[in-house]
Amino acid sequence: MGLFRRFLRALGLGPEKVGVLIVGLDNSGKSTLLNRLRPKKARTADVVPTIGFQVESFLKHGIQFTAFDMSGAGRYRSLWEAYFKDAQAVIFVIDATDLVRMCVAKDELELMLRHPDLRKVPFLFYANKSDVPKCWTALQCAQALQLDENKDKPWNILASNALTGEGVEEGIDWLAEMIKSKPTN
Amino acid sequence: MALVNPRDKKDEDRDDETEYSPFFGIEKGAVLQEARVFNDPQLDTRRCQQVITKLLYLLNQGESFTKTEATEVFFATTKLFQSKDIALRRMVYLMIKEITPSADEVIIVTSSLMKDMNSKTDLYRANAIRVLCRIIDGGLLGQIERYLKQAVVDKNPIVASAALVSGIHLLKNNPEIVKRWSNEVQEAVNSKAPLVQFHALALLHQIRQNDRLAVSKLVTSLTRGNVRSPLAQCLLIRYTVQVIHEASGISSSGGERPFYEFLEGCLRHKAEMVIFEAARAITQLEGVTSRELTPAITVLQLFLSSSKPVLRFAAVRTLNKVAMTHPLAVTNCNIDMESLISDQNRSIATLAITTLLKTGNESSVDRLMKQITNFMSDIADEFKITVVEAIRSLCLKFPQKYRTLMNFLSNILREEGGFEYKKAIVDSILILIREIPDAKESGLSHLCEFIEDCEFTYLSTQILHLLGNEGPKTADPSKYIRYIYNRVILENATVRASAVSALAKFGAMVDFLQPRIMVLLRRCLHDNDDEVRDRATLYLQVLGDTKDIAPDGAAAFLSETLNVPLANLEASLKAYEPSEKPFNIAAVSKEAKPLTIAEKKKEKKAQREAAATGAHANGVAPAVSTSSYENLLNAIPEFASIGKLFKSSKPVQLTEEETEYAVNVVKHTYPAHVVFQFNATNTIQEQLLENVEVVMDTSLADEFEEVASIPLKSLPYGSPGQTFVLLAKPEGAVALGKFGNVLKFKVKEVDPASGEPDEEGYEDEYALEDVEVTIGDYIQRTSVSNFRNSWEALDPGLEKVDEYGLGPRESLQEAVKAVINTLGMQPVEGTDQVPSNARSHTALLAGTFIGNVPVLARLSFGIDAQKQVAMKLAVRSEDESVSELIQDIIASS
Repeated sequence: MGLFRRFLRALGLGPEKVGVLIVGLDNSGKSTLLNRLRPKKARTADVVPTIGFQVESFLKHGIQFTAFDMSGAGRYRSLWEAYFKDAQAVIFVIDATDLVRMCVAKDELELMLRHPDLRKVPFLFYANKSDVPKCWTALQCAQALQLDENKDKPWNILASNALTGEGVEEGIDWLAEMIKSKPTN
Repeated sequence: MALVNPRDKKDEDRDDETEYSPFFGIEKGAVLQEARVFNDPQLDTRRCQQVITKLLYLLNQGESFTKTEATEVFFATTKLFQSKDIALRRMVYLMIKEITPSADEVIIVTSSLMKDMNSKTDLYRANAIRVLCRIIDGGLLGQIERYLKQAVVDKNPIVASAALVSGIHLLKNNPEIVKRWSNEVQEAVNSKAPLVQFHALALLHQIRQNDRLAVSKLVTSLTRGNVRSPLAQCLLIRYTVQVIHEASGISSSGGERPFYEFLEGCLRHKAEMVIFEAARAITQLEGVTSRELTPAITVLQLFLSSSKPVLRFAAVRTLNKVAMTHPLAVTNCNIDMESLISDQNRSIATLAITTLLKTGNESSVDRLMKQITNFMSDIADEFKITVVEAIRSLCLKFPQKYRTLMNFLSNILREEGGFEYKKAIVDSILILIREIPDAKESGLSHLCEFIEDCEFTYLSTQILHLLGNEGPKTADPSKYIRYIYNRVILENATVRASAVSALAKFGAMVDFLQPRIMVLLRRCLHDNDDEVRDRATLYLQVLGDTKDIAPDGAAAFLSETLNVPLANLEASLKAYEPSEKPFNIAAVSKEAKPLTIAEKKKEKKAQREAAATGAHANGVAPAVSTSSYENLLNAIPEFASIGKLFKSSKPVQLTEEETEYAVNVVKHTYPAHVVFQFNATNTIQEQLLENVEVVMDTSLADEFEEVASIPLKSLPYGSPGQTFVLLAKPEGAVALGKFGNVLKFKVKEVDPASGEPDEEGYEDEYALEDVEVTIGDYIQRTSVSNFRNSWEALDPGLEKVDEYGLGPRESLQEAVKAVINTLGMQPVEGTDQVPSNARSHTALLAGTFIGNVPVLARLSFGIDAQKQVAMKLAVRSEDESVSELIQDIIASS
């Protein structure tokens, strides 16, 4: 079946399906980001805090993304792990205005980076809420989270504003490229 | 080759039998491996469905998953929410419902389910509601309540039904929330969709079930309007029956029965289900008259010839029950039922037969028996037992026919059968022997033949015991000896021992057999079992190896039985304290109490009584028997020193029904004290009562003095509790009096949400009705085996006779019952039952007055055309003053 599917894909038929995990601390803007990725008609006006998780799927660059939007509240973070296994990419949303909890984000991130199921998976970081005046830049965030120590997996960080969609598309473009270029195993 | 062949053959056999069950050979480990496909990025929906089916199968087979396994499967399943396949989504719902995730995991699917609950697909909505209500906890329920309320009145019947059914489930844990939906549910009752109407009615009733008035209103309004759904109509009939039952508890019958017309109307309904339900309801009405019964029976008769087996079964089963109480009403259906004997379905055939046996007349017995014999061999044991029981009651009804019936019983006794079946037959024969003297000889010889080839020790010993008791009294006792001695040679130790006992009884009671019996018994001295040898030795001694004991004494020794129920004897022996006074076996109450008979039965009865007296649903469970009271009282240290309990009265209600606090009292009489046991029930959910006690006003009763009062620490909602008051009176004296009572307690408000009581409380009191100590409290019910002998034995000089007019009464039976209740004595020889239409009746009563004075009374009743009842009461006892007191009871009431 692998052969047939690869053949189809080479012809540009049948979109590839990719599972994406969206994580981050609570109130960092994960569900809002996802709302932005939906078709215009399906967007909701107000986003409520997620309980548990929500599944969204969207089509970008010929890839069918299935996003698991995990709740970021403290007591649900332990549940993220159950979804690591089938994630082909991770989107980690950082609240660039929440300087106090940057270290908490760092701890959670380190746990994820060390996890064996996520060894070869591309990580996309969003330094979100870039519209707020006193926010950190993407570079500052990367330094705070010591992202440059990651040598074994592809990663990228972008400043974004999920409310207006600024920076979001670029990130997804990069992710699609990474997934396409990855050899199928 | 030789090794392989048999296995091949086996496989072939199995293939033929099982027809490839789709679930053949499913194994947990393998399925859990397969469940990994849920994580596949390219979901194969068909395969996922199959795996879920397998998992569900495992769960339903009782396979248990460990915590980690369950968690893994659960999380894997949640990933399937990404699929848009409707069939798969349904399986996902089922899976989540079945695996019931733990509290901290539930949260993970809540969002997804809430989203589905508001989706456009009705199927998603209905199922999501069901699953969500199943797994959600009270806290989150508040968030989705709004959606559920809307769903109840949804246009789509599937969604509405789902919400209603969820409501029924939620009512158990979160009643407050569901109760707020009342208006929506009411609207749903009027829905056009049959299933919605059905579920809505069920939920509405559940919401109001504790409020009798509301249920009654509900039924009244719905019986007038038209309920479309047959299922809802059936439900309505059941609720109606409930209302009728409760109403009849309050106002005793007479006049038109409410709602009867509605039930009768339902007999003409389109749906068979409704017709049957209505017919069944009518037959089960309390005190149903034959006029009311006729239309229901007619309908059931039509069902008997229906082409649907289930209708035939239902009809014949109902008729079977009716036949127990109103055999005449069923006779019309006899012809239809006779054709059912040859029915394909054995259950129907058996029920038809047993019903016919109950309703049949004497002339048809022979014909019926012939038909039964034909099909006896091809029905299962349980059915055979039913048939045997029916035959037993038939035989008791027509004693002249015993020969045919006894022959039939002995025939089936010889056939193959399990223990229960054989036991039922033997029991029947034993009862017949006891009840029908003519049947004794033939019955005994049938039993003798049976034990020649009986594989059940229990039955053998039982029969040997009976032979020992009855055999010597027959015309030719010697013929039984052979059968009994055969047992000594052939059987196991238990049977041998009872055979030896039986032999000894023959020896003791039949003089000319005694030498021969002695020879047989001596042989048993060399038996290799201790018990058998011991018995043989004992009986040889008793029967006259030594001449000390007269032969009469031997007979008496061997045949005397303990005429006291063993349970009572045990209780009395436990209560006996070693002292100068010897233990008096005569003081043991002879009233048989249903202690040893299955405890369940008793509870059921108690519940029924509670329902009958209209006690609150969670009301006081009346603990009936004296010895259970005794255990309760003995457990309280204050009551340890006041001696032996003489009598406990029946509970007397001290409050109106359905008030805030339901209280009844039980009076316990002791030689020098009276203990009042107040059973209190708190029916207010929002209150917790503490330090509950009853303050008794003894100012009107000079002879009593309050000694102790034992308050109840706390009385939460719904569970009854007891508080006691101990009064002293002069020893042995018959002190009478009336007491005013007030219930005092401290009220604490309970928060309905958390169930936690407030810290602060306030004192309150509640007036109760008066309690009276009457002479009846000093009389214990005892029974005598032979009233005539006991009556003659008492000095006629001490007899007190008087005549009374009891005024107009409804019937003689009612008058007799009232007098017996007033006297508190035990009716003997079944004289409390008055044959219908009798113009006069004599009732015989026995009792023991405090101080162990036996009292006997003879009541002669007469009734005239104006329903005026007159009574002549003759009392005899050893103490004249006691007889006078008994007369006083009637004179004063």
